[in-house]
Amino acid sequence: MRIIICLIALCSVFLFSFGKKKKTPRIKFKCDSFKSLKNIPEPSDIVYDKESDHFFIVSDDGLLFECDLTGKIIRKAREEGMDFEGVEVKDGFVYVSDERPRKVYKYRKSDLSLVKIYSVSWGGAMNKAFESITYNSTKNCFVMVSQQPVIVFEYDTAFHELERHPLHIAKDINGARWYNGDIYLLSSADDCIFKCDANTYEPKCSYNIDMINPEGLAFDANGNVRVTADATQRLYFFKNLPTIIQ
Amino acid sequence: MRKILFIALALTALAVHSYAQEFSEFTDNNARKLTLGGDNNSIQVGGRVSGYYEFRWLKPGNDNYSHNGWAMKDGDLDVLGRTASKFVYEFHFSLLDLATAAATQNTAAPDAPGIKAGYLEYRGWPVRIKFGFDKVPFSQGSLNDVWASPMQSHANLYSGDLFSRRDFGITLNYRTWKERINLYGGVYSGLGENFFEYGNDASGRFEYIGRAEFSFPGKMKYCSIDEENSAKPQFRIGIDGRYEDKRQPAGQSILTDEPDAIGPYGIKLFDGKRLVYGADAMLKYKGISALFEADMMKCQPTDPSDLLYAGTPASFNRGYVKAGGIVTGLNYNFEKIHSVFSVQYEHFNTNDLQQGEQEWMYYGYAYKVDGFNSVFKIEYYKPTLEDHNGSPLKYYQQIRVGYQVVF
Repeated sequence: MRIIICLIALCSVFLFSFGKKKKTPRIKFKCDSFKSLKNIPEPSDIVYDKESDHFFIVSDDGLLFECDLTGKIIRKAREEGMDFEGVEVKDGFVYVSDERPRKVYKYRKSDLSLVKIYSVSWGGAMNKAFESITYNSTKNCFVMVSQQPVIVFEYDTAFHELERHPLHIAKDINGARWYNGDIYLLSSADDCIFKCDANTYEPKCSYNIDMINPEGLAFDANGNVRVTADATQRLYFFKNLPTIIQ
Repeated sequence: MRKILFIALALTALAVHSYAQEFSEFTDNNARKLTLGGDNNSIQVGGRVSGYYEFRWLKPGNDNYSHNGWAMKDGDLDVLGRTASKFVYEFHFSLLDLATAAATQNTAAPDAPGIKAGYLEYRGWPVRIKFGFDKVPFSQGSLNDVWASPMQSHANLYSGDLFSRRDFGITLNYRTWKERINLYGGVYSGLGENFFEYGNDASGRFEYIGRAEFSFPGKMKYCSIDEENSAKPQFRIGIDGRYEDKRQPAGQSILTDEPDAIGPYGIKLFDGKRLVYGADAMLKYKGISALFEADMMKCQPTDPSDLLYAGTPASFNRGYVKAGGIVTGLNYNFEKIHSVFSVQYEHFNTNDLQQGEQEWMYYGYAYKVDGFNSVFKIEYYKPTLEDHNGSPLKYYQQIRVGYQVVF
């Protein structure tokens, strides 16, 4: 009997011991439709290129694709890496994060030829590293976010580390995108997009997206949201993010 | 005795409570695994340490309290590598098992050799090829990692007493339709966890194992808990089978040549043929996960006087013995309070020619300080139907209270 009482007491200690999380406004955000990306195995990230009006999509198998706005493949780069998880377009180049070996591949956008490979450092688990890369135009630096634990890393254009910002907003972060002065972070475990301050990365509000394993986030020319999901191999089409009145 | 237990639990509560607070404050420094990267190779080093306090409610007449005390469960080190040329390799050691085997001359747990995985896999072709020692593709319950659940141990049905969970051999794996369909086929020594003790047996024949899975709407991990609180319902169904013909040549006997490999019920390996087949299913939705598994085996020992026939005449046993059972479980991952609750029911029979049915109920609770990487666990189980003749128990029920860190 005493053991049972002790166990109940023990459980109570745990149940009432967790800290208070800072709450931000959150609303549901439903997708309009989706398309199956049959020829892109495990699509991990997506980015919109204003110049070509195309998307660039990377795949877990070390593949980089250029696709039209419906996700149809136009061309693909030579297979280079181990585990491509993040993609960004900047000044005529496509930057790709290779998660497991902690590398960033720089491709020339015009012919998708490899220009340079950078090494970045993250000592955590092999498959919990940089699943995202974006250029933060507010602070003029590249941003890569470790999946778990969540830490925002800032890099200069030669991928020298500038600063780190630990975040406690989600269980993991799988996608990041700078758009219109804010940083948007996508969490697969929480099925959520966080709108964050581009200077401090503090969340302003968040959007619940009900889907399995979302990993990549992009905004098209009209601000419509596009999300790639690894496990279901789909491209999801959303409208613009609604404004949350705080 | 109870006072000691009371004090131990209270101390554990205090320790874990303060640890929990510290961990939640410094989670950003908790880079649990270490990864080293080269130009063509990346290596991850990780591991697991866990232990518990175990208490058994002994039946009258039993005064051996060796199970009422501390125990170390895991002391593992895992090295996982991946090369640019698409090779994956892994060496997973249980330093605890190695130390135990060395200290007891391999008598304490001969089916725990200290190596949990040691393989090389090529992933450059549509069909993945793995060569070495690892879990065999049979039984969802065996493939699921027990450390990523509130339980301290697998259910009896797939704990390795009836059929092996690991073996040395070659495995082919083909995934299609967005990895929703996952097919395995493999050829193994058949000696299972005792391969390192005995090598191959005298029959010169292998064990053949196959498994087919279908997951929807996407691929699913081998994890019994819905830690991601799935926004959409996800399920997986699987069927599997394994066959071996271990009839021994004249003058050879598994009983004398490989005595540790037969398992506690004598059906894990024997002189004769064996077919095992099973089916399993898992459903996950909004933190709830439901699991079901059934495994059946048909054993045909060569010798009519084999102990598995339990002294029955051939006219009665018709040359075979059946065994098997079911396990079903329900879990709830209550993320808001960092907790997982589990309940599991098991019914199995180790020999249909004699009264050997067993039923067990398992209850588990986990408080996740940092997911299952840093977790407090309570597991309580009791037999609801005991095999008094074949496997009499010295206790009514058992509880384990422990802590686990995965790094």
